[in-house]
Amino acid sequence: MSAAEATSETQPQPGASSVSYEGATKRYGSSGAPAVDQLTLEVPAGEICVLVGPSGCGKTTAMRMVNRTVEMTAGDILVGGESVRDKDPAQLRREIGYVIQQIGLFPHRTIAQNIAAVPQLLGWRKERTQARTAELLELIGLDPELGERYPAQLSGGQQQRVGVARALAADPLVMLMDEPFGAIDPISRERLQNEFLRLQAQVRKTVLFVTHDIDEAIKMGDRIAIMKEGGRVEQYATPAEVLMAPATEFVEDFVGADRALKRLALMRVADIDLWEAPLAYVGQATAEVRAKLAQPDVEVPYPLLVDSERRPLGWLSERDLRAETVPAQPDSPLGPLLDRDDVMRDALADLLQGEAQYAAVVDPEGRIDGVLSVEIISEFLKSPAAKTEEHSAVERPHD
Amino acid sequence: MTSPGPFAAVGEVGKGFIQERSSDTLPCQADPSNFFCWDWAKENIDRYQTPTIQHVELVLIAVVLGFALAFALALIAHRRRWLQPPLLAATGVLFTIPSIAFFFLLEPFTGRGRDTAIIALAAFTLQIIYRNTIVGLANVPGAVKDAARGMGLTERQILWKVELPLAAPEIFAGLQIAMVSTVAIATLATFVGGGGLGEPILRQGIDFLTNIIIAGGIAFLMAIVFGLILFAVQRLLTPWRRAGAA
Repeated sequence: MSAAEATSETQPQPGASSVSYEGATKRYGSSGAPAVDQLTLEVPAGEICVLVGPSGCGKTTAMRMVNRTVEMTAGDILVGGESVRDKDPAQLRREIGYVIQQIGLFPHRTIAQNIAAVPQLLGWRKERTQARTAELLELIGLDPELGERYPAQLSGGQQQRVGVARALAADPLVMLMDEPFGAIDPISRERLQNEFLRLQAQVRKTVLFVTHDIDEAIKMGDRIAIMKEGGRVEQYATPAEVLMAPATEFVEDFVGADRALKRLALMRVADIDLWEAPLAYVGQATAEVRAKLAQPDVEVPYPLLVDSERRPLGWLSERDLRAETVPAQPDSPLGPLLDRDDVMRDALADLLQGEAQYAAVVDPEGRIDGVLSVEIISEFLKSPAAKTEEHSAVERPHD
Repeated sequence: MTSPGPFAAVGEVGKGFIQERSSDTLPCQADPSNFFCWDWAKENIDRYQTPTIQHVELVLIAVVLGFALAFALALIAHRRRWLQPPLLAATGVLFTIPSIAFFFLLEPFTGRGRDTAIIALAAFTLQIIYRNTIVGLANVPGAVKDAARGMGLTERQILWKVELPLAAPEIFAGLQIAMVSTVAIATLATFVGGGGLGEPILRQGIDFLTNIIIAGGIAFLMAIVFGLILFAVQRLLTPWRRAGAA
């Protein structure tokens, strides 16, 4: 919470507006239970807020009230401090990007014309629109030639990229995304999620993202609002906080029993305090190495053999140490080798799969940085320290 | 051949262009077992020019009027859905009345002549064009309309820039059917003095096959030409439908 707040305060986003729900309520019919009940939450500018919950929890309704494709019954929503009620709906929507699950590209317009839709509505000059279209095609990594194609000629993944580009075309203050990757196969979805996070790192829009998938919510959200039937928010917090301290039983159930593992997916190896192994160099006298091992504060009871550049080669065994000098060929192979930037969950998987107690962690140059063990990870999960390891969605591991 | 009787009035409008000619008594014509008399056809083909022009006029005016009315009704009913069943029923009744009866039913009110024929023909096209327009608009994917609305298109912009272009194939299909069937039904216009290709058929005699084949053949060709023109226009207006999948 504190870290996320700090982010929003220290980096005001000129191209993005905050979104504040102020008791926003939607009731269908005159009586009936509300679809969204007095929703009050604040989405800081430049952040991704994920509305997540089971179907019928009102998350899509809550999102649609922002661009008034659903009109609220009571309360208010402020975009950049201004009430959405005070604006003409069509005018309001042109300032808010809109991406939906079924994409909804215009089948009768080319890709370039689709992307240019909102700039055209806003009356941009032709050259400006063309330049912007070309820029966006590049931003989403689409061949400029595809601009002349029709949507039916593109794959589902390409179409969804165009959907995102179209929503970004007029540089909106806020983006609404309703299960944008829901209809895409799991492999492409993963890639699109990562692409979107990379894109978001550049454009820093305020995004309201709706999904029913808690894993997607954890991955995409700077903050997550977990909603329950009846349109009530059970918890609104950062992903790590939701995973570590579910506010209610409902949230705990919704997040799932594997929330500890999910937390590991939010971290990189570099985020944790690693252990230090006694280092040994080829040709070094084994007596020196044994002396290091004998020190009381040694964290790893095996010496790690490294080359002159401190690149790990393998682990030395008792037998290796019985020799006069450190051999060039250690007894035990290196085992799993991790990168500082590896996702923690994958690192744990490597450790378990390699049946290794310790794994050497190297920096981008391949030099030893520390040692990771299963013990470190389990200690970490037990400690409340995770709370301080907050990253915004775009900085978190997602590859 | 021009015996008075039930069809005594035939030819009122076309007076002067279906004249008796010497070739009308050629031996070929006298024998009903002859399928087609080339000599007669060659000498008399010009007699079909005026009926053909009249026929084209009947069809075009009727279809344009029918389209204007049916299209307007469809747009109104598209926004007010409760209007759809009654309008479908109403145009359905007009479509179901036997054509020939409809011509004569109108006659007491609108008199004899081309106007009556046009009104009847236009009334027939309503159902086809109306229904196809409604179906075409209904088939526009909801997601496309949702996206359009969410991007800030007004209702009017959604209709003209999104829904109607996407409904164009169905609307044109309706126009095509309306056009082709009107070409056929317009041969009955002659019963209320509306002229057209029905004129020479009745006037020249229904038991003279050569005449039937020429007049019928012209109507047949006309239907094909109109159909092809509409098809070409539709293709020109909907280039996205030709773009194959990647």
